[in-house]
Amino acid sequence: MRRLPLALVALMLSVGPAASHAILIESTPDLRLVPPGAVRVTLRFNSRIDAQRSKLELRRDGKVQAVPLSPGAEDTLVAQLALLPGAWVLRWQVLAVDGHITRGDVPVMVAGR
Amino acid sequence: MSLLVDLFGYLSIILHGLVIVGQSVALGGVVFLLALARPFAGGLPDGEGLVRHTGRIAGWGAVGLAVAEASMLALQGAVLTDTLEVGPGRVVGASFMVAGLVKVAAAGLLALLLLGRRAAPGPVLLGLCGMVLAAAAATTHAAARLEQAPLLLAASALHIAGASIWVGGIPCFVMALGRLRDGHSLRQVGARFSRLSMLGVLCILVSAAVFSLLYIGAFEAVYGTAYGVMAGAKAGLFGLLLLLGLGNFMVVERLRRDPATPVLRMRRFAEVEIGVGFSIFFAAASLTSVPPAVDLAKDRVTWSEIVERNQPRMPRLVSPDRDALALPTLQAKLDQEGAAARLAPQAAFVPGSGELPARNAADVAWSEYNHHWSGLFVALIGALGLLERAGVRWARHWPLALLGMAGFLFLRSDPEVWPLGEIGFWESLRDVEVLQHRIFVVLIVMFAMFEWGVRTGRWKRPGLALVFPVLTALGGALLLTHSHAIANVKEQLLVELSHTPLAVAGIVAGWSRWLEIRADGAVRRWSGWVWPVCFVLVGAILLSYREA
Repeated sequence: MRRLPLALVALMLSVGPAASHAILIESTPDLRLVPPGAVRVTLRFNSRIDAQRSKLELRRDGKVQAVPLSPGAEDTLVAQLALLPGAWVLRWQVLAVDGHITRGDVPVMVAGR
Repeated sequence: MSLLVDLFGYLSIILHGLVIVGQSVALGGVVFLLALARPFAGGLPDGEGLVRHTGRIAGWGAVGLAVAEASMLALQGAVLTDTLEVGPGRVVGASFMVAGLVKVAAAGLLALLLLGRRAAPGPVLLGLCGMVLAAAAATTHAAARLEQAPLLLAASALHIAGASIWVGGIPCFVMALGRLRDGHSLRQVGARFSRLSMLGVLCILVSAAVFSLLYIGAFEAVYGTAYGVMAGAKAGLFGLLLLLGLGNFMVVERLRRDPATPVLRMRRFAEVEIGVGFSIFFAAASLTSVPPAVDLAKDRVTWSEIVERNQPRMPRLVSPDRDALALPTLQAKLDQEGAAARLAPQAAFVPGSGELPARNAADVAWSEYNHHWSGLFVALIGALGLLERAGVRWARHWPLALLGMAGFLFLRSDPEVWPLGEIGFWESLRDVEVLQHRIFVVLIVMFAMFEWGVRTGRWKRPGLALVFPVLTALGGALLLTHSHAIANVKEQLLVELSHTPLAVAGIVAGWSRWLEIRADGAVRRWSGWVWPVCFVLVGAILLSYREA
């Protein structure tokens, strides 16, 4: 909501969405349309991340499924997904090595059989 | 806990700003102690007092640093344990946590040594400062970079050291100016602090050049990314600090020729340097929470988009119908569906749920209308301030215009809640943003009454007159941090491009009014014109504000 002019007389304490620091550069394979079944996904970020303190979740219709992480490079999150047909969201949360926490979503469309 | 996660981004910026302030005062105080107060103690009339008070300022800076850093670690730790669903043991091993704990321990030891009765050995103090500096650099962007990390870490440490030596040393300098009476002592202290400041400025310039090359990379990124815009605001405020520092340098040079030169201006400029410097620290805290511009090749705002957005248009002075806004429209639909199903209608928006409310074109028009009318109020305040400065007596009642603005904002800022909307007053306070808007309105009313009392002579205590400049400057600094709650989404960046000048104008307005109250002579005269002009500028920017 930006209905209130922010700088009027300059007293405002305000809250915004969590600021972004580590950002997702690419996800492989392209998850916009993938066949069902097992897929090894790699999310690459712009900075070194602490994978031990980061996480991946698959979300659909309010249900959340934690995804175990596999070892990867210092700027990646790697995981093996078992995908069923339908529209999913892959939510990532990463802790950058400098201490910033960032979240984001990757839409995943799994083709029907 | 979900509320904590929602607030985390903003709270961590504020805490980080406080960490930088404490850190700079502690490190700058130690440098002032070792490079100025102790070496000169024997030759100054109140040398021992200068050493004692410098130690206290640096010591309390270290206390502030330890408390702010510990609070930040607790907040980050709480968010991590909650979101990862792990115990504190898993979080303590994170590298930022290790660096933070080192910083807390070093700051705690510094505080004990500086506030203790016995003089702490210089090498020990410097060693602890080195630990703080290294730990601070380890939680900057540089620590997480994939390329050029050693160079960037060195530049970060240099940047922090430079800011600490210069801005962090100013509280001690102001204290010294207040305690020293004779021209010779003032010249000696002023000249040494000038040299220290120049060293600090050099460190900042060298490190900023490295950051410009490796974090920004191209001119287009200066206006096209959040990082570039904030770095630009920091550079602008840094230029202002340099001007004030130059003013002080000239007074020191004059003292060399004439020890009887008055130093009030130097004290007042130094006070303003503290305020502007601390504002830069909050901007820096905000800057650390966004990715460097070089990482954002996509979604940059182009120059033509900025030009297009800022094409002059008539202000929107007629409001859209409230029923056309996204939430009332959605609520009407849900009410119909509920009635058809013979069920209680679902709420279109639940305050405090953490979900962002829906928006449509009418919401944009509503927001622009609010900004434009507020711009008229602020421009009116600035114009009346100018008239008052020109000697028009009745114009001193300008603070009453703030009451009109408070009423306007109370009605308009959150149309989905009472009195315009369906959501009740108390229920609406569960939404953090609504709560803030309400607090904001109360503060404007209090602020208006204070300043009106001061202007009309009802309240004569000199301290009360400082409420206006302090709150205005503080608001500008907070706006600078707010503008950082963005992730380079184009639309948000286009909004930020208008809000950042507003923040800078707020900071300049606040501190120029401070000078008008506390300085004398020519400085008092010209600063009396500066702040109303800033208000007129703020009004003009608000009047040209657009969201689409």
